[in-house]
Amino acid sequence: MSQVSLTEKLVAIVRRDALTTIRYRNGFLLSAVGVLAEVVAFRYLAHAIGPAFRPEGVDYFPFLLVGSGFYTFLITGVQAFLSTVQEAQQTGTLEVLLTTTTPAPVLIFLSAFSAFAGKLANLVLFLVVGLLLFRVPLLHPNLLGVVVIFLLSLAVALALGVFAAALQIAIQKGSAVIWLLGSVWFLTGTIFPVGALPLPLRWAAWWIPMTHSLTGMRGALLLGRSIPELAPEIVWLFAAALVLVPASLVFFSWVLRRGRSEGTLSAY
Amino acid sequence: MNAVVFNSVTKRFRHRPALFNWLGRERGGATEALQRVSLQVPKGEALVLLGPNGSGKTTTLKLISTMLIPDEGAVAICGADTLREGGTVRRKVGFAVANERSFFPRLTARENLDFFAVLEDVPKQERGIRVEEKLGKTGLAADADTLVMKFSSGMYQRLGVARALLKNPEVLLLDEPTRSLDPGSAQRFWPFIRQLLSTGTTVVLTTHNFQEAAAVADRIAVLRRGELRSEREFQRNANTDLPSDDLSSNEPANNDGPSIDEVKSFYFQASGDAEDTPAFETAP
Repeated sequence: MSQVSLTEKLVAIVRRDALTTIRYRNGFLLSAVGVLAEVVAFRYLAHAIGPAFRPEGVDYFPFLLVGSGFYTFLITGVQAFLSTVQEAQQTGTLEVLLTTTTPAPVLIFLSAFSAFAGKLANLVLFLVVGLLLFRVPLLHPNLLGVVVIFLLSLAVALALGVFAAALQIAIQKGSAVIWLLGSVWFLTGTIFPVGALPLPLRWAAWWIPMTHSLTGMRGALLLGRSIPELAPEIVWLFAAALVLVPASLVFFSWVLRRGRSEGTLSAY
Repeated sequence: MNAVVFNSVTKRFRHRPALFNWLGRERGGATEALQRVSLQVPKGEALVLLGPNGSGKTTTLKLISTMLIPDEGAVAICGADTLREGGTVRRKVGFAVANERSFFPRLTARENLDFFAVLEDVPKQERGIRVEEKLGKTGLAADADTLVMKFSSGMYQRLGVARALLKNPEVLLLDEPTRSLDPGSAQRFWPFIRQLLSTGTTVVLTTHNFQEAAAVADRIAVLRRGELRSEREFQRNANTDLPSDDLSSNEPANNDGPSIDEVKSFYFQASGDAEDTPAFETAP
């Protein structure tokens, strides 16, 4: 029986990651500048396209802001977690972490959670700057809907992060998950609506979790859709989380056992 | 009671050449890192593993720590099987790995230890005291708030020992623990280990240093190419006063065990390695 609670362990991991991030002083500032530059670029892109283009019934700038901000949050969260695992492999910390009394699946899930917590600050900055600086009116946001869509999307992204970590340990190529997610971005409705795609691509887009995350988040935040109206996205994301979270942990445990057997935990 | 038991343990590392191996010359097959090794370490004793590079010393430690699992045979730590009861084993074993970079470089020594103490389930009320105690014992108290990226190799090595001691392990694994220490610190390290043994901790240590083996060992095992060539118990004088348990103290090493020559002669006999064979070829 563990004498330290999961919350204490999560706080320790988040603290470790936060201290590491802020101690890369220039990198911290540069990422904040990057966020601002991206918001400004989107503002002028939307201005150039003109007010007539209103995908899914909203102005193009908030459409871009929410789509790109949320998609980037989900992808960079997976990427940040994968980087943590890769660095731990290269320094030999991974092997040491896996011999602590904290079970490996717990450790890996908390570490993934911490990676997303770090990227949440970027997302909030991105949205706050975009919405406040360029005075985007949020007429009636459904905050409960925002939270539900956010949490379900997070659960799915955490699972994808654990899959990436498992692939990294198994074949030293966890980046394959990032590559896959990065190469389907145009299907997910990040910068133009899924409805603009040809039918076969719309069908492919339906299978990508981020499509439902973005549709749901825009619906809740920008259009104020109610929970019943968000039901298709909520049900899809819930089912995906239900399958992917345990599957990713089972896969990770299997990979870990294989790594212990073959001595490849720190191979990179 | 035996704290560590190896029962006919074999460990193989398979080589998997790349898909287009004809472009290079990567080897295939497998390396037998350990071959049917059986050994026991009684509670409170120190086993020193000697052997040339690639003989299986670190593999032995990794098998005890559950970083690796055996292909054949079984490893038991204080009665718990490493394959079936990995969690129980991890609660009992502390491992100071040889890799000096296995810390978070942008955290201080104290922050690193505090982080690992949480993961090692050290209760909150004890954590601060435990971390300070281990920093003090390893002579790092003055550098506790320095980022570890600024540490020297020797300081990393001390921190590694401090981390391994955090959970007050029943079995302490030390992989070449004095490799990067200055001679004075290394001399003070050996009585520190003897003191730990007197509290009932079992120690398994790998080294290439005969002086270290003589200063610490209750028994020595010699490995070569994955085979256990020989194992011998050495009598130590039980009445010798125990030295300080502080790595930073100035007490000299007090060798109450075998002489260095005794260890040397045992090693060269057992390993079949001629004492005068140079490790590197010299120019004619």
